[in-house]
Amino acid sequence: MKLILSILYIVCTFLCKNVLSFALLLLSAVLLLLISRIPPRIVLRSLRALLFVMLFTAVLNLLFTKGETELFAFWRIHVYVEGVYSAVFMLVRIMVLILSTSLFLTYTTTPIALTDAIESLLSPLRVVHLPVHEFAMMMTIALRFIPTLMEETDKIMNAQKARGVDFSSGGLIKRAKALIPILIPLFISAFRRADELAMAMECRCYRGGKGRTKMRVSHLHASDFVALLMMVLFGAAVLYLNRLGLFYTL
Amino acid sequence: MATVTLEHVSYIYGKGTPFEIKALDDVSLTVKSGRVTGIIGHTGSGKSTMVQLLNGLEKPEGGRVLLDGADIWENPKNMQAIRFRVGLVMQYPEYQLFEETIEADIAFGPRNMGLDEEEISKRVREAAAFVGLEPELLQKSPFDLSGGQKRRAAIAGVMAMRPEVLVLDEPAAGLDPRGRDIILRGIREYGERTGSTVIIVSHSMEDMAAYCDDIVVMYQAKVFLAGTRDEVFSHAGELASVGLDVPQITHLALLLKKRGVPLPDAIYTVEAARDCLRTLLQ
Repeated sequence: MKLILSILYIVCTFLCKNVLSFALLLLSAVLLLLISRIPPRIVLRSLRALLFVMLFTAVLNLLFTKGETELFAFWRIHVYVEGVYSAVFMLVRIMVLILSTSLFLTYTTTPIALTDAIESLLSPLRVVHLPVHEFAMMMTIALRFIPTLMEETDKIMNAQKARGVDFSSGGLIKRAKALIPILIPLFISAFRRADELAMAMECRCYRGGKGRTKMRVSHLHASDFVALLMMVLFGAAVLYLNRLGLFYTL
Repeated sequence: MATVTLEHVSYIYGKGTPFEIKALDDVSLTVKSGRVTGIIGHTGSGKSTMVQLLNGLEKPEGGRVLLDGADIWENPKNMQAIRFRVGLVMQYPEYQLFEETIEADIAFGPRNMGLDEEEISKRVREAAAFVGLEPELLQKSPFDLSGGQKRRAAIAGVMAMRPEVLVLDEPAAGLDPRGRDIILRGIREYGERTGSTVIIVSHSMEDMAAYCDDIVVMYQAKVFLAGTRDEVFSHAGELASVGLDVPQITHLALLLKKRGVPLPDAIYTVEAARDCLRTLLQ
């Protein structure tokens, strides 16, 4: 349910077309942030990671959008008012996109709940013999092993450093070569781990999705429907504001 | 050859986060040159952290790490040179093997030092001999070897750099008694032959008693006891208070002594006990 709502929310961010609807979008994002009670510092950090992409799109939009009213021209670069608008819109759009996905999915949902959601959403595809449960299982395992592999990389890196590998100097080729002593042991240990995990799962009689019950079955609560209702209202509001066509429209 | 000194060293994991853990708390320690020093303590007592500070893999939060009286962080660009002087074997080192043959893997460290081929191959052979790897194994792939052999190859890889200080984190963990003895004896031999300082981290009192000259006991991020083997084991009561014990055979010897058997004080290995008892019986 949460997954569907977040997808709807993302669709809404793309539907926004004018100043008013963008203002509403920004307002909603801030409100959601406040409700979620996630420390603002963490949220800012997730934004910072994609700062470059955000700025890059903004600049591109600024420079390459052609419009009627020219703001100023410098050498061969023409900046139009439309360009400024679309740059700002793009920026807000990406920002809200990142905020909402990280808010809904990474910070407030456990990976297990997430894969459960994917599994149940994809379950209609079971009719066409798609191994839905296996997909979900693979995702859970992949997510689960990210920190383990990172730790492993760290350990191997330290060990090779102790044997005199220098990762931080030399040209590109030299640096790439310095990675070999890390990648090979890492791959080997990943395969070994996979093997061991498969063995352990078999020892506990895991045999795929058929007839498997869930430990935590998620139900739809009243609050879920309230959320859905709010989402629909929000979407309608965005569409309505778009039609007003005040100020500038894309 | 080389003395390692820690001066008021502290180290904190995850500083500034709610998960802050003090791994080392104002630790001062001198490891005597040319001797085998054992560092012993429970899981989480700061042993492994201390070891990573010794060759500059981690930077101490406070205090200094000195190698022959010089701060190793004085010139961070020289860290590689420090790492060649202080060889570190991490826990489960067999997982860092990556070359096609054992020989190439042992040669990896010396090659990074920029030695010529002749010297490298000499050192490889020498290091392999220390840990008891047969010459015919050198051409094999690391992945065709048994766990114990891989462990020995990895240790040889560090020994081949001929470090003045050889530091090993749990070199014998998870091995059978025979493999353990081969490795620990090889390490001791390396120290005696090259005059290097050897530091072994372990939680096995038996191993420490059998192979170390000096012992440092870590407890809750601090040095609890430090001294020669005899000095440390004479504090049997204090060791017990932090959940560590003197070796079982020492315990037995003490009990026998209480019953009037005239045994010497310092008995740490089964062999020593056997010899003493035999002379007594004759």
